[in-house]
Amino acid sequence: MIRIECLEVQYDRNPPVLSIDALTIKAGERVAVIGPSGAGKSTLLRAIKGYVRPVQGKVEVMGVNFMTARRRDRRRVNRRIGLIYQQFHLVRRLTVLENVLCGRLGVTSRWRSCLGMFSAEDRRIAWSAICEVGLRDQVHQRSDRLSGGEQQRVAVARTVAQQPAIILADEPVSSVDPAWAEDVLEIITEVQRHHQATLVMSLHQPDLARRFAERIIGLRKGRVVFDDEPAKVTEANLKELYRGDASLPLHGAAGRSQQHQTRTA
Amino acid sequence: MNLLHLVDAGPRIADFMDRMLPPDLTWQASEPRPFPPPLRLAVAVVGVTLQIALLGTALGTIAALALGLLGAENLTPHWVHHPIKIAMALLRSIPVILLALLFVAALGLGALPGVLAIAVHSVGMLGKLFAEECETADPGVWEAMDSAGSNWFQKVRYAVWPQVAPQIYSLTLFRLDMNLRESAVLGLVGVAGLGLWIENYRRAFDYQSVATLVIITMLVVLVVDQISVQIRRKLK
Repeated sequence: MIRIECLEVQYDRNPPVLSIDALTIKAGERVAVIGPSGAGKSTLLRAIKGYVRPVQGKVEVMGVNFMTARRRDRRRVNRRIGLIYQQFHLVRRLTVLENVLCGRLGVTSRWRSCLGMFSAEDRRIAWSAICEVGLRDQVHQRSDRLSGGEQQRVAVARTVAQQPAIILADEPVSSVDPAWAEDVLEIITEVQRHHQATLVMSLHQPDLARRFAERIIGLRKGRVVFDDEPAKVTEANLKELYRGDASLPLHGAAGRSQQHQTRTA
Repeated sequence: MNLLHLVDAGPRIADFMDRMLPPDLTWQASEPRPFPPPLRLAVAVVGVTLQIALLGTALGTIAALALGLLGAENLTPHWVHHPIKIAMALLRSIPVILLALLFVAALGLGALPGVLAIAVHSVGMLGKLFAEECETADPGVWEAMDSAGSNWFQKVRYAVWPQVAPQIYSLTLFRLDMNLRESAVLGLVGVAGLGLWIENYRRAFDYQSVATLVIITMLVVLVVDQISVQIRRKLK
C-alpha cells in the first residue's frame, strides 16, 4: 500500500533530512517509527501524506506516485489518508461535533459546508466516530474546554470521520498527559483495527511503540537503522538509536514512572 | 505658527461663544425665518446621518471582508494579495471629505454620496485590519483542514473564520463609531445630514442654531460610542 524507493529529502544545502532506500508498508499493518529528535520521523509521515517535495525518489501510496500523478489523483489519495497531529490542531471555538464534522469536508460541497449544512449521513458518521473515541457526553462542548487527552481524541474522531485507508499519527501523545497517553494510543489502535486501516505512527517513547505496534522502524539522522517486530528490537538497538539524545528514558515501565516522578517533584 | 495669537484670540473666542449661546431650543417658529427651528429639524436629520453611517459601514464591511480575505498573505498567492494590499492603501490615503466632494460632484447633493464616501474609505481601513487579522490565524489548523480534504473556501470557513470572528465584529463596530462622526462632518461638502444643516445655519449667521445642532451631534455620537464600547467589551 505504501512504497518508498530511493527517497531523499533535503532542504537547501543542509544534510538530507530523510534518506531511505526502500520501505514498504502493507495494508492493515500497524507500524511505529521511533528515533531521536530530528531523525526525520515527521518528515517520513509527511512524505507519505504527500506534503513533502523530495529531491529525488518515489513515494507511491495506494498505487499513486506522488511525484508523477495528476493533481486529481493526488487529491483523491490524500483524502483517504488521515493525519493526527501532536498539537491536535482543532478549531478551538467550535464544539466536538463541529470539529469531527470537519473530517467530512472532503466529501461535502463547498456551499453547503460554508453554511454549516452537513448531510444526515455525515452527521451519523461523525456521531459514530465520537462514540468510538468515548466522547459521547461531551458532544456539544467547546473543544478548548477539554483536556489534552480529550482534545486528541476529538482529533482522532475527526480522522475516523474521514474514513481513511491510512492513518498517520505524528507523535500523537507527546502533548498529552503521560497518564492518558496509553488510553489515546489504545483508542487509535482500536480504531485502526475496527476500520481495517493501515497505521503509521511516530512515537517518542520506545516502550509505547513496543506495546502498540506490530512493527517498529528505527530512524536516525534520516536513515532506517532497524525495521523489525517489537520482540526482536533489543535494548542495544535502542541505545544505539538514541545515542547522544539525553531526553529519553530508555528503561522499561519502572524507569518511566521514576522519570515521571522526578519531573513532577 | 505664532502661539501668541492664542492670547489675542481670547476676546474673539469669547465673542463667538457669546453669539452661540444660548442654543436655540424653540420648537415652533413664531415668526418667519430662513430655516426651520433647529431642534425640530434635528430630530429628522439625525436619522439621515445615522442611516448614512450605517449603510456606508455595512457596504464597506462587506467589501472589506472579501478584500481582507483575498489580501491576507497566508491565504492567497502573492499576485493576488499584493495588488489588493496596495489598492487598499490607496483608498485609505484619500481623506473621507475629499471622497465625499468627488461623489457630490458626480451624483449631486444628498445622502448617497455620503454613503459611498464612507463605504469606500471603510474598505481601505477595515480591509487592511481584516487582512492582518486573518494573517494571525493558526497555520496548523489550516493544514489539518487541508488534510481532511477541504478546499480553500472550507478552510477559510473553518480554519480562519472562527478564530478571527470576534475581532472582526469588534473592528466593525469601532469603524461604525468613527463613520458616524465622519458622516456628521461630511455635510460641510453637501452630503445630507447634520453637517449640511450646521453649514446652512452658519451661512445664515444663525449661530444659536449651529450650537443646537453641534450639541445634538455630540450627544448622538456619545451615545453610539458608549453602546459600541459595551458591545465590544462583551465580545472579548
